[in-house]
Amino acid sequence: MKKFDYLKPTSLDEVFSLMEKFGSNAKLIAGGTDVMVLLKRKRIFPDVLISLRSVPNMAYIKDEKDKIRIGSMTTHRELETSTVIKEKLTALYDAVINLGSVQIRNVATIGGNIANAAPSADTACPLLVLDASCLLISSKGEREVELKDFFIAPGETVMKQDEILKEFIIPKPSKLSGSAYWKLSRRKAMDLPILGVAISLAMNEDKSIKKARIGLGVAAPTPIRAFKAEEFLTGKFLTDEVLAEAGNIASKEASPRDSIRGEAWYRREMIRVLTKRVATISFKRANIV
Amino acid sequence: MKKVISFKLNGEDVEAEVEPHWSLLHLLRETFELTGAKEGCGKGECGACTVIVDGKAINSCLFPVMEVEGCEVTTIEGLATLNGNLHPIQESFVANGAVQCGFCTPGMIMSAKALLDENKNPSEDDIRTAIAGNLCRCTGYVQIIEAIKKASERREP
Amino acid sequence: MESQLKSVGKRVPKVDAREKVTGRAIYIHDLKLPGMLYGKILYSKYPHARILNIDTSKAEKLPGVRAVITGFNTPEIRIGFMKDQPVLKKDKVRQYRDEVAAVAAIDPDIAEEALDLIKVDYEPLPGLFDPEEAVKEDAILIHEYDAKGKPLKNNILKLPWRLIAGDVEQAKKESDFIVEDSFRVTWVTHCCMGTSGCIALFDLDNNLTIYSITQIPFLAQNDFNAALKAMGLKGKNTRVINTVIGGGFGSKLDTHVYEYIAILLAYRTRKPVKILFTREEEFFAQPPRQPAIIKISQGCKKDGNLTFREVDMLLDNGAYTSWGATTPSVMMVPISSLYKVPNIKYTARSVYTNNIYAQAMRGYGNPQATFAVESSMDILAEAAGIDPMEFRLINVNLPGEITPQNFKVTTCGLKECIESVGEGLNWKDAKKNKKKKRGVGMSSLIHVGGGARVYKSDGHGMIMKVDDFGKISVITGAVEIGQGSETVISQVAAEVLGVFPEDIQIIKGDTSICPWDVGTHASRQAFVSCNAAIMVANKIKKEILDIAGKYFNVDPENLDIKNRVIYLKDEPENSEKQMPLDKLLRRAHFSKHGTMIMAETFYDPPNEMLNQEFKGNLSCTYAYGTTGVEVEVDTETGHVEIKKYFAAHDVGRALNPMLLEGQIYGAAVMGTGYALTEQLILKQGKVMNDNFLDYKILTAKDKIPIVPILVETIDELGPLGAKGIGEPACVPTAPAIANAIHDAIGVRIKDLPITPEKILKALKEKEKKG
Repeated sequence: MKKFDYLKPTSLDEVFSLMEKFGSNAKLIAGGTDVMVLLKRKRIFPDVLISLRSVPNMAYIKDEKDKIRIGSMTTHRELETSTVIKEKLTALYDAVINLGSVQIRNVATIGGNIANAAPSADTACPLLVLDASCLLISSKGEREVELKDFFIAPGETVMKQDEILKEFIIPKPSKLSGSAYWKLSRRKAMDLPILGVAISLAMNEDKSIKKARIGLGVAAPTPIRAFKAEEFLTGKFLTDEVLAEAGNIASKEASPRDSIRGEAWYRREMIRVLTKRVATISFKRANIV
Repeated sequence: MKKVISFKLNGEDVEAEVEPHWSLLHLLRETFELTGAKEGCGKGECGACTVIVDGKAINSCLFPVMEVEGCEVTTIEGLATLNGNLHPIQESFVANGAVQCGFCTPGMIMSAKALLDENKNPSEDDIRTAIAGNLCRCTGYVQIIEAIKKASERREP
Repeated sequence: MESQLKSVGKRVPKVDAREKVTGRAIYIHDLKLPGMLYGKILYSKYPHARILNIDTSKAEKLPGVRAVITGFNTPEIRIGFMKDQPVLKKDKVRQYRDEVAAVAAIDPDIAEEALDLIKVDYEPLPGLFDPEEAVKEDAILIHEYDAKGKPLKNNILKLPWRLIAGDVEQAKKESDFIVEDSFRVTWVTHCCMGTSGCIALFDLDNNLTIYSITQIPFLAQNDFNAALKAMGLKGKNTRVINTVIGGGFGSKLDTHVYEYIAILLAYRTRKPVKILFTREEEFFAQPPRQPAIIKISQGCKKDGNLTFREVDMLLDNGAYTSWGATTPSVMMVPISSLYKVPNIKYTARSVYTNNIYAQAMRGYGNPQATFAVESSMDILAEAAGIDPMEFRLINVNLPGEITPQNFKVTTCGLKECIESVGEGLNWKDAKKNKKKKRGVGMSSLIHVGGGARVYKSDGHGMIMKVDDFGKISVITGAVEIGQGSETVISQVAAEVLGVFPEDIQIIKGDTSICPWDVGTHASRQAFVSCNAAIMVANKIKKEILDIAGKYFNVDPENLDIKNRVIYLKDEPENSEKQMPLDKLLRRAHFSKHGTMIMAETFYDPPNEMLNQEFKGNLSCTYAYGTTGVEVEVDTETGHVEIKKYFAAHDVGRALNPMLLEGQIYGAAVMGTGYALTEQLILKQGKVMNDNFLDYKILTAKDKIPIVPILVETIDELGPLGAKGIGEPACVPTAPAIANAIHDAIGVRIKDLPITPEKILKALKEKEKKG
């Protein structure tokens, strides 16, 4: 492993000035569970790591009137043990309880999980279907980017060199809505998803679908939304036929590939199966009597 | 590029000269010669290096040494007393056959300790979750889970 | 006897557990010697290539580097079962993990940096990765010459395995039902939690000391002495010292290339040199279990009696041989002798490929063979219209039988194993009232249970000495790899001597101190070392009682020892005829013409080496067992969930039920990994998943509800009746699961691991066929 310096700025201003000073020779580090592995595997060679851990007010879960704000330095373990997440953002809860191990969740942050932009990032699909936005800030100011527009390619996002991911802004799910995430993996822990499917449904009183969101992980070079399937579901009632068709459409929207972790045909097939299952769970969670 | 950090290690205030690229595991094993925490993979995938930092079980192989500043670190060496009295979890591991080759054992016990410190009466599922990041190739986990369960029962008043 | 046992049969904690739970146990990872250097190995960039040139000049100049070695500047050391592997390669590389150079430096980072500075020019050659291609006569040659320099004509190893018993062709004619299938098993690897490593150093007289994690210290001594000879140090000796070992499972039955490299570097630098594998190296440079393609045909009569079994196997040996090249000899055990089959034909060929070379792993070929045999048993039972459990009971092995391979079955609890597993699973009910997507399946096993004569000697040496305080030192050649041999030795010795297990101290792990033992393999260690312990403890006891007899002026026959006290058998309450053991020992020691009490023994079990026809009583007793599972299959995702798991084992006697169950639990989970999740993925010879994220051993979250059932048959030759258990429990898991999946959803998966993809594909094909 290459030697590097490790800096611990204590304010965002200090972070920005260090980022400016070191430019592409620096790498931001949050929990470090991804960055340290990349360093050890000799995939990245920064001269300097800039740690965000000592910057105050970066880890929080704020339950506001119509929004939930999650600071990017919030760990998965903090999300897992938060009743706000467990009760209101159920899809995200599903994702964080099955990510890595307790040891990993104790340090890995949600900001790191998203900013790394791995196609398999477990929190990406839930955040996508919860209509999350990312608050990006730099010394010049801040901007909000919807997560659906955030990812560009594996490991690549719309973030500029001088920006950091500050928080996620999630509209509070309406009444009669529910969300869920299904991680398909070989093992029940310490695993990456072969495929991840998140769905959120907002229902009308008559049990027709008011709004649908489908997020797919490891189904394309980045986490994606299945827009066509969402559109198809809107206004429909959740019958077996409708679910099957939604699954078919979502599956066609995906572009999975063969890898040692799973074959493309299997992933495509599982999108069909899991769309059905996850939608059913989301519907149940919407609690329509 | 040496730097000095200070922190609490197994209840004692300590200072150490470190290289910024080290992991906590490297510091523990090389500087303090506390070799109970093991490097099984170096990538956070096996849990053999688990120690407790500020009450939380973490993989010390991925924990940047510079983040240890001001923290409270507990390793397996901090559990038994100097006169050889074992911590109840350690005793339970011995009594219930939870140890075979023993390489995963220190990490496993630290995960169990972090769990029991937080949850005095864990269910089997809680235990399985707490040690899911500690791979063991010898035991099939059964006697480890039993040992943790029994240790928790013992600690109940 | 039963009720009288004080130590044996009890759930005695492992003697090394306290050291291990406190983090005090010293593994190779934890050991440092003064002046120690760190060695790192440069591996090949190609699976098959000619080495044109190796330029080490830049690496040599890097500050902190103490030596850079290649095949060109070191004497050639050839290793492996067929001595087909040079330690450092200089003509050709034949696999990605081929070692082409190595560095010793003052720290591991510098050593690694130096590796990047070594420039190797290769001329890539076409590679052979498919054993079915590699066996062809016109295939390119991986080895052009054998170890003696004789030209080779093809890639087939000159180890022709062939076992014939009875007349298979005639039996086919007489069979009412015949089935024929082909199975495939792939690479899986040991995944010891402690990675491999060693420290080598030379003394001024050029004798070698190596701190090692070997399971076979005395065979290793032999191997390393041969290396010394090759290095021009003929007559010099090796001392092998074991550190605590972080898992074995057969991975340390061979001496490995990295050990020889450490030796070469230590000799070059005159310093202790440590090589310690990273986890990635452990995955790609540590030989895994052999893959095989197995064709099997079996037949039976209408009444279910088996008529014949014919097996032909093609094994992917990889680029070089290890002891693992001899696994077909153990594959013969289930093929010839699991259930009563009068006619047997078994042939196996092993071929060189440019894949990673393989070695033995827990079961020594048995898991591969049993997967085929027991899957085929279910297929045949179905063809004959007989319930699979019933079918197994019809053909069950029984005591007194002599099998087609000339195994003499003494004790055999297979029938009880099958029946108790059937009971656990509610077999009849599960079959009659079949639930959707649920299924039950079982598989049995036979394995050597009393050692196995695969080497000239299957012996175990032991020395016992008693000190002035009544404490007993047992000096043994046994290697503890986590299984608990030290603990059961203590229990057995304490039992015989009338003391407590904590009075026994085990001294082990040093070839210069301990007597010879062939190694911790073949599930033999408890069997041989406890037998030795009984023999030697009886000698000690006789000496003690003889002295006590003189002292009390009674016939020693009338004396015994209990709870550390010598007493008169007829008058156990008579305190005048009692004496604490330690007091007597001091009296014996410090009297005129004093005496010290010590004894030794060498126990070699009455096992036979297989003859030229591969027949003979390989082990003086055999271990049996049955695993039964109930599974639920998600027919949409292909996921398999194990709902019930019963593992019944004929263990002879449970010397320590807690440790025994530990072996069963661990093996069951390892076996389940073999069945469902584990696979070393190779593409064009390259290991693609060199980490625990992608090589999927099961976690604590993957719950398998294992219920061990101990069947005690009290074997006449076993120590207090015990048989081996180390390997057996991982043998029948995969076929039991495969059989249960077939019962659940009607598809049969014939290659491991049984992935969700394979299940879905098979379900689709079944649908297509209607």
